[in-house]
Amino acid sequence: MLIRLTGGDVVDPVNAATAKRDVWIRDGLLVDAPKGATADETHDVSGCIVMAGAIDIHSHIGGGNVNTARLLLPEHHRAHQPRPANTPLSNAGWSTFQTGTLYAQMGFTTVVEPAMAPYTALHTHLELADIPIIDKATLAILGNDDFTLSLLRNGKSSAMLDDYVAWVIGSTRALGVKVINAGAAAAFKENVRSFSLDDTVPEYGVSSRKIVKSLQASVTRLGVPHPLHVHANNLGIAGSADTAAATIAATEGVPLHLAHLQFYGYGTEGKRKFSSEAARLAEAVNANPDVTIDIGQVMFGQTVTISSDVMRQYLAIGNASPKKTVILDGDGNGGGGIVPYRYKQDYYGSLQWAVGLELFLLITDPWRVYFTTDHPNGAPFTAYPELFELLMSSNARDAKSTELNATALGLTTLASVRREYTLEEIAIMTRAAPAKLLGLKDRGHLGAGAIADVAVYRKGRDIAKMFREAALVFKNGDLVVKNGKVTHYRWGKTLRLNPPPDKAMVKRMQAYHEERYGLSLDWFTFPDSAIQRPDPFAEVIS
Amino acid sequence: MSVAWVGSQPVPLTDAVRNAAKLLASSRCPVFTLDADVHGTRSAIALAERLGGAYDHAAGDVLAKEVALFTDHGGMFTMPGEARRRSSLIVIVGEIPVAHHELLQAWAGSQPDLGDKHKRTWFHIDGTETIEADKLARKLKAIPLGADGLSLPAVLGVLRAGLQGQRIAASLTNIDRFRKALTTAQFPVFVFSGTSGETAGLVMLQGLVADLNKTGRASSVFLPADDDAWGTALTSLWMTGFPPRTGFSNSLPSYDPGRWDIQRMIRDKEADLHVWMSTRGGETPPRGGKIPLISLSKTNSPTSGAKITISVGKAGIDHDGVSYSSRTGTFRAVQAAQPSELPSVSSIVGQLAQALPGRKALPC
Ligand SMILES: [Zn+2]
Repeated sequence: MLIRLTGGDVVDPVNAATAKRDVWIRDGLLVDAPKGATADETHDVSGCIVMAGAIDIHSHIGGGNVNTARLLLPEHHRAHQPRPANTPLSNAGWSTFQTGTLYAQMGFTTVVEPAMAPYTALHTHLELADIPIIDKATLAILGNDDFTLSLLRNGKSSAMLDDYVAWVIGSTRALGVKVINAGAAAAFKENVRSFSLDDTVPEYGVSSRKIVKSLQASVTRLGVPHPLHVHANNLGIAGSADTAAATIAATEGVPLHLAHLQFYGYGTEGKRKFSSEAARLAEAVNANPDVTIDIGQVMFGQTVTISSDVMRQYLAIGNASPKKTVILDGDGNGGGGIVPYRYKQDYYGSLQWAVGLELFLLITDPWRVYFTTDHPNGAPFTAYPELFELLMSSNARDAKSTELNATALGLTTLASVRREYTLEEIAIMTRAAPAKLLGLKDRGHLGAGAIADVAVYRKGRDIAKMFREAALVFKNGDLVVKNGKVTHYRWGKTLRLNPPPDKAMVKRMQAYHEERYGLSLDWFTFPDSAIQRPDPFAEVIS
Repeated sequence: MSVAWVGSQPVPLTDAVRNAAKLLASSRCPVFTLDADVHGTRSAIALAERLGGAYDHAAGDVLAKEVALFTDHGGMFTMPGEARRRSSLIVIVGEIPVAHHELLQAWAGSQPDLGDKHKRTWFHIDGTETIEADKLARKLKAIPLGADGLSLPAVLGVLRAGLQGQRIAASLTNIDRFRKALTTAQFPVFVFSGTSGETAGLVMLQGLVADLNKTGRASSVFLPADDDAWGTALTSLWMTGFPPRTGFSNSLPSYDPGRWDIQRMIRDKEADLHVWMSTRGGETPPRGGKIPLISLSKTNSPTSGAKITISVGKAGIDHDGVSYSSRTGTFRAVQAAQPSELPSVSSIVGQLAQALPGRKALPC
């Protein structure tokens, strides 16, 4: 099957091939224009932008905590079912089915679930396998489990830590590793209520910094393409910018990804002792090439916060709206908290909104800043189209700013920053850079040999509308979306690294689980066949 | 041996499937009673969606109570593995289903290796309605906490007030011992189930746990009344966004425990076809319905009153599958312990979908 997209404005920064040109697809892959061949199918995309399918590196789309949020908030789902066109947040992407549908309609073709608890990996993968159309991937959580902490306390060799990390990645089918408030979940079980980079976990005497540094080094030694994905300490707290700055300063030449930096962009200035430190953090990021970050932009309205940072979520219970929450002290790296929340256009909400935008606009290199709302923590991913508009139009920012709290905005640099993202920069931030960060060479660009994940947007003055309803979307060459609606359902794959397990580590794991949990290791692991779909996984060769 | 019947007549499986598909196709409002592993549940919900039906689990009454704890309130929880490793003070709340007794006895036979690492102490919060529970309490050497004539929610209310230092109306046996135990245990855990009592009592228990967390740590372990039912609830949540009792109208799912109470729908003749599943076998469909019944049951004889019976296997016994397990508090891949020819629910439901007009495969 040969498909030709003709007459479009192709935006393809990786191949320095941004130009009006045709795009050719043969049997699911992009190919150079074949000489003398006639296409089986031609789509006239003149007046359209053509980009690679978008990649979301951090969106909580499936697994135990996401499902518990559904359980806690059936009214949330009900409120977000399709409604008459384009009401705000008209759909939060709550079921697995909607998640795939809504992402595809916006031209997203790969999404990473960034917080998979190793012991509930099967649950996560069962959910991901039921998300249609798109490809998925997961990051396995490490850094709060007794096994890791004991290795570090007992001064075991880095080779043993590497074997353990590799075993976790392999047995959970992960693409990378995430550490969440390193050590805090373990400390919270011992009634510790606040935890910073140099605090130590009781019983283990290991600091948060030591956990992060050890895992960062291990991930690097193992050759995992995605650098350690770090959810730092003190999320959401006034003054958390200091923690973020210290974490950024601690990379020492080793790559590190800092998640949802917006939630750490807060200082203690002003009458309310809650101010923007975005400019300072942006400068720190600009100055340190080891660091990549994603934003976790806040948009206004009802959402639910879902995080494995159980200590932080427990502290947030008082702000829950509606007033019901789940706090889970999980085993190992599991657990977390579900706290529903409504972002209001008050002082705090306005400041958080502005901090996210400041970071987007003041971090100069689009290869190192990633487009996220930390779905659903800052906003549901369905708010992306509006966020694209804010980044690409300073007028749109000004217009929104007039509705917001002037005192809060006055403590930020936002009004003075006139930068507008170009389409080329959008293509880098949402396609090229995520593919590079995750080690996915087969996507994120439109060069020959890449898989044919292609998003076509009809140019128009309404930027949000353009990104909400892709004119055409192809996934692996299958036409899946037309005029903003899914026309064809298919099943994507979950991308994993699949490093071979070290035999001695498997033995050690068997003994550990039998002794500590009274259960054989097969209670905690699963065969691919448990997913009951043909080829649910695809290997990423690093 | 027969595996399919029309009425009491043994028939080839394909005939039974064709007849069942006819009934499904002509039904205006089919209702599904589920009892299967994750994959059986996925396929059944997908079929219910296609047909505009409604579904619940066979253990729907107690499941609804458990679901309501979350939809109404939430709470603080920990995992069974963490409780085993970390908790030196375990409090059994009311009636815990027999299926979980082995798990609790395994905890009793082990020593915490995290946290305070003290030898485990057990208490049992008892109400007038919990009679069976005493047997378990004796086995665990659990110290009773209760008062003559008080129901479980009342005991929990009195205990909560007492721990807050309020003057309490009734005196609870052993409350001073319990207070003392709380002062040394760093991570006390309350073990409860949907069988422990009404939702209001479960919410009261969570209030007590929340109180304890103001200064120290405490949590609860939820052991579902029925593991398979809880697995069905979780599967339903990701597939539709909702727990059971859920139905589809205009192809959109809606959750409404009253409206989609299947037994009520059958009684009130809102439903016109009942698809009843029982992979655990040895069960009979609830009486009182006068509407046609399709039975997918682990049986070697036709289900009484069913228009069509198809014998199915159980995941973990007859075939591989994925089930929820309270041992780990999550899903587990289970292998066939005694592989048999009996088809899985998902394969039968898949065949039913294929036999419907339009012949579309199900997405699950
Ligand atoms: Zn996140």
